[in-house]
Amino acid sequence: MNARRVMANLTVHLKQFSREKSTIFFVLLFPILLMVLFGFIFSDQGSSMGDLHIQNVDGGFHSQALVSAINGTGLFRIVEVDNSTDANQFFTDNKLNVLVIIPAGYSDSINMKLWNSTSPQANLTIKYDESVSYSQTKISVVNSIVDGMNKGLSGSVDYIGLDMDSVQSDEWKFIDFFAPGIIAMSVMSSSLFGTVGMNTELRQKGILRKLSTTPLTRTEWLLSNILYQMFMSMLSTAVILAVGMGMFGLRPHINLYMVVFILLCVFSFAGIGMLITRFVKEAESAQAAANAVMFPMMFLSGTFFQLEMMPGFLQTIARFLPLYYVNEGLRAAMISLDSGIILESAVIIGIFGLGVFVLGVVLTSWKDE
Amino acid sequence: MTEDVITVKDLVKVYGNVRAVDGITFAVEKGEVFAFLGPNGAGKTTTVEMIETIRTPTSGDISILGKDVKKDRMDILQRIGVLPQEFSSFDRLTVEETIQYYSRLFCVDCDVGRLIKLVNLEEHRKKLYVTLSGGLKQRVGIAVSLVNNPEIVFLDEPTTGLDPRARHEVWDVIKGLKREGKTIFLTTHYMEEAEVLADYIAIISKGKIIAYGTTTELIDSHFKTIKVTIKGGSAGIGQLAKKMGMAVHSEDKGGITIEATGNEQVVEFLNALKANGISYLSMDIRKPNLEELFLVLTGEALVEEEAAK
Repeated sequence: MNARRVMANLTVHLKQFSREKSTIFFVLLFPILLMVLFGFIFSDQGSSMGDLHIQNVDGGFHSQALVSAINGTGLFRIVEVDNSTDANQFFTDNKLNVLVIIPAGYSDSINMKLWNSTSPQANLTIKYDESVSYSQTKISVVNSIVDGMNKGLSGSVDYIGLDMDSVQSDEWKFIDFFAPGIIAMSVMSSSLFGTVGMNTELRQKGILRKLSTTPLTRTEWLLSNILYQMFMSMLSTAVILAVGMGMFGLRPHINLYMVVFILLCVFSFAGIGMLITRFVKEAESAQAAANAVMFPMMFLSGTFFQLEMMPGFLQTIARFLPLYYVNEGLRAAMISLDSGIILESAVIIGIFGLGVFVLGVVLTSWKDE
Repeated sequence: MTEDVITVKDLVKVYGNVRAVDGITFAVEKGEVFAFLGPNGAGKTTTVEMIETIRTPTSGDISILGKDVKKDRMDILQRIGVLPQEFSSFDRLTVEETIQYYSRLFCVDCDVGRLIKLVNLEEHRKKLYVTLSGGLKQRVGIAVSLVNNPEIVFLDEPTTGLDPRARHEVWDVIKGLKREGKTIFLTTHYMEEAEVLADYIAIISKGKIIAYGTTTELIDSHFKTIKVTIKGGSAGIGQLAKKMGMAVHSEDKGGITIEATGNEQVVEFLNALKANGISYLSMDIRKPNLEELFLVLTGEALVEEEAAK
């Protein structure tokens, strides 16, 4: 390992980048587009998960509290269904996917339960269309709100306070939850495709062959490439944050954890890119291989679709994808500051990235490039 | 005292069931220009890349500057310079930056200015690589191969794809290197290039060395005759030559080629032309060149192979 050689490579990559205007343009355009696109999709309508129909037959204090709690998340546009309508008929006629019914006596039951814990619990009825996967997501949100209220009512006051706050507060918009996913995805795609693109181009031009006749080692080459991709990722993250904050009022925590997750993400995916170019020599097949790596990650790691919407086996697969932990970790770092998730995710991606790097060093050599 | 800086013994490289390099043995002396000559696909680049340590031989031994390529790779890389086939570099670095970059990879402080002067690129030092012509790019490649002040320089097809003027400019640079006392291993499929530059030539065909020696040795050992080519001559030249016992090779509208056994026969023939009052537009008297040697040699090899089947 020789730092001078690593720096020499890094300098070359940066010069190559900064001297090509069209490259700069497209490298910056991609994250801007992503953020603007998703920003408009998720901030404009406010209720990003669509309508939630509620029939409040009860109408008492606790039912009102529940409705306003759901409303407070800002995730739904609540549509009150008149008490006199037949719920079943209404559900079918309007092709609803979820209908929450607060039955008569709901508030009374809760009051009874508070008075005497042995009395029966209050029940909500949720009608939903099983064939629409989205209804599961809506239900899971309602569930978590009910959960929070349960905990609140059962007495552990401190805990509820926090929980209710994070759900109810207007501080976070849906776009805030989405931004970490956009950052993770843009960092993944730029490190993966950046690495694959650069290495296949340099191979085709015969530059790798020339490099193989110099004392430059694979480790040095790998490392300088990762450093360069780290720079690029920091750049695109800055762009995403600037657009998000400027246009959509994004207010994430920006901290060292965030930087750590971005670096780990680059380390992992630039490493995968190196491995791909080692084994898939043709430029086009290498691009295809990179796509094959990226797409499942994009869709299964919770960036665009909530994991809860997916069948169980896909959820299991997601738990094995590095991007899932980048998403989790970034979200925790930028929003909840949950140190447990931050630590767990960092350790998992850290191990993964190191593994990929070691494989890259062991499996690839300049010989017979 | 001469010293072998490269020795290659029984070198073999097999790809699948193709023997790309099929048992090659040769040595290169210090300070000479050694040309490895052969048509495309003969195994030149495979051989030279095994010597440069970037390909692994199937079998055989290679020693460079007394070091074994298998054991002392890093050591060897520090002491050789390589211009790979179809050299290319980073598009958006200047000539100066390119040379600087490669010298950093070798962790040496090289005199960039001196190298730029050596390859005659003074006016282009601030230009981006991508804007250079093919000949200039090759000269950058040669400069880059010299950043570590190597003892042996490998030039793989340095003038392929260049126009005649650019080719001559590259040749001038190579002659300059020779004057500096570098050992040069030149791979080429241009016979003329080998003739102009090389002290020693190995001709390779189908993975085997089929001829080996100095240009003069090679030609003298394969051709005993002198060729006289006459263009625009009046009738009766062919008959006259045949009468004098000389072989007449080609006779068409444009001209006639006659093979003489030696200088004396050439003089006799010229006198006979004069005595018979034969006039002509042009006459070219010369020994066969490497081009013809190669045709003869590979022609022989082809026939041999067909006979073996």
